[in-house]
Amino acid sequence: MMIRPQPTQNERVLGEDDFIVSKTDLKGVITYGNRIFIEISGYSEPELLGSPHSILRHPDMPRAIFKLLWDTIQAKGEICAYVKNLAKDGSFYWVFANITPSFDRHGNLIGYYSVRRKPRPEAVQTMAGLYRAMLEAERLAGDGQAGMKASTALLHQTLAQKDMSYEEFVFGL
Amino acid sequence: MKNLSLGSKVRYLQGAALGLFLIFGYLVSGPEKPSTLAWALFGLTTLVLILLLYTVHRILVGIKNLTATIRKAANGDLDQRITRIKRGAATGGAAWAVNDLLDQQEAFFREVFSAFEHASQGKTFRLAMDQGLHGAFKDAMTRVNVSVESLGKVQQMAIKEKLIARITNLNSGNLIGNLQSIQEYLMNMTQELGIVGQISKETAQEAEASRATIESLVADLNRMAEMIARTNAQTALLHQKGEEINQVVQVITDVADRTNLLALNAAIEAAHAGEAGKGFAVVAEEVRTLSENTKDAAASIAATIESFGEATSRMIGDSEQVKEIAEGSRSAVIDFRAQVLKFADSAETSLAQVSKAQDFSFASLVKVDHFLYKQNGYRVLHQGANSPEARAVQTTHLTCRLGVWYHEGQGAESFSHTASFDRLEAPHASVHQNVQEAVSLLGTHWDRDEAIQEQIFGRFEAAEQASEEVVQVIDRMVEERHRRA
Repeated sequence: MMIRPQPTQNERVLGEDDFIVSKTDLKGVITYGNRIFIEISGYSEPELLGSPHSILRHPDMPRAIFKLLWDTIQAKGEICAYVKNLAKDGSFYWVFANITPSFDRHGNLIGYYSVRRKPRPEAVQTMAGLYRAMLEAERLAGDGQAGMKASTALLHQTLAQKDMSYEEFVFGL
Repeated sequence: MKNLSLGSKVRYLQGAALGLFLIFGYLVSGPEKPSTLAWALFGLTTLVLILLLYTVHRILVGIKNLTATIRKAANGDLDQRITRIKRGAATGGAAWAVNDLLDQQEAFFREVFSAFEHASQGKTFRLAMDQGLHGAFKDAMTRVNVSVESLGKVQQMAIKEKLIARITNLNSGNLIGNLQSIQEYLMNMTQELGIVGQISKETAQEAEASRATIESLVADLNRMAEMIARTNAQTALLHQKGEEINQVVQVITDVADRTNLLALNAAIEAAHAGEAGKGFAVVAEEVRTLSENTKDAAASIAATIESFGEATSRMIGDSEQVKEIAEGSRSAVIDFRAQVLKFADSAETSLAQVSKAQDFSFASLVKVDHFLYKQNGYRVLHQGANSPEARAVQTTHLTCRLGVWYHEGQGAESFSHTASFDRLEAPHASVHQNVQEAVSLLGTHWDRDEAIQEQIFGRFEAAEQASEEVVQVIDRMVEERHRRA
């Protein structure tokens, strides 16, 4: 088990022409990561392989987003999300993550494939604000189901105000 | 040593092994017994050779992995990656290059799939992301997005059209039902108006007959009044003649009285004359008897004339009353005649109105028939060429309600004199012909052929125009018939 890094204000930025590629099994255990992933996360390939993807989870991220993410991909859907990730040295990097399920020849779900690209700074700004509010809602409601519910409600409220689906919203940023 | 490339590593090892081998060969091939140094060198050479063999083995394993991954990828399995690549491994660079290629390919395919999947649901906001893709992959994605965008738009339109088509279908289905209920209603109304028309006609005929009866009654009464007046005059005359007869009877009575006196005097004179006057006394007696008889007859006549006079007086009184009654009847009958005339007039008017209403009602009915006919044609678009609707449009312009009416029914009877009557046949035939042609085209592969679609649309358009004309001609026919009347 790895010790969770202490977050710092140091930001790493993904290259304009690069993307992070990673694969996990059904439980979210990393089974592959490309060189960009290795480089930006600061972990070596042997460190990444076999570790849960959540080692990259930054404390600034609301849990409701990960719930939405897992709910969607477990239902064999595609999800796109702006995610603030935590590198091994405590620095952070923003990505626009696209996660799709992988199937075998018989159509059985065998894992997940994630491509993460450099997000537009304006989109990051909007999402960071929304995430802060969601995180605050989670904190106020007390961590647990209540917090998740409050935070999710806030997300739905934001979408309702804009009269957009979640997908429409993230692709419109 | 660790970061050296595969080629250099092998070359260094080869050089070292070869050099050591030469030294070792020199030492062991000499006349002396091989020294410890020579043995040591031999050992080192062997070690280097083993290392060389191990390296070659690792390279072979790496190449095998690479080959397996590339082969799988060639078979379409892009999920594979080479992992646990040792830093500095001879095939490491190649392995990462293969991974990168597969990452590019897999990201490309998944993006294309996602974008098309969304576009097929009309979600145009989800374009394929080309960020991170390189070279041909990136260029291809730009072109893919052009297709994705147009598919998205088409899908959005298709989704929109789907609702429009469904609602149109729903509407036309209900429209037929609605028109059928109006048709039924108009059919009943036309029938009812036919009965009312028949009754009005009979009423008008009866009113006419009553008028004739009244006229003859009035004439009879007039004649009667005249006759009464004439009878009155005759009676008065009769009465007057009776008076005159009375005076004559009086004269006769006087003559008889005086004759009697004269006969009495003659008898006295005859008695004076004696035997000679005996004959004369007989004559005088006869004369006296005659005068007595004359006086009796005159009295009897006077009595008769008296009662005659009373009867004529009563008759005059009665006929005066009869005259009054006849006069009263006559004026009552004249009043009655005025009423009957008015009644006959309104019967005539209501007959005209009913006939007009009946024509309007029938005109509406045949209009609705044709709307229904067209609707059935349109329904074939949704219901198919073997539907009841397709069979319903097979009626021709000779066998449909309007056709029968026009050619053999009441239409020919009541409307053939109107100027517009002859103008109905052509547009009416055209409605049926065009709808039937459109429906027969709907039995072909029209859904795949725009040229056929164009033809179908043209037929329906022509049917609509013809139908419009049919409606106008029917309106004019009705108007012309009732303007004359």
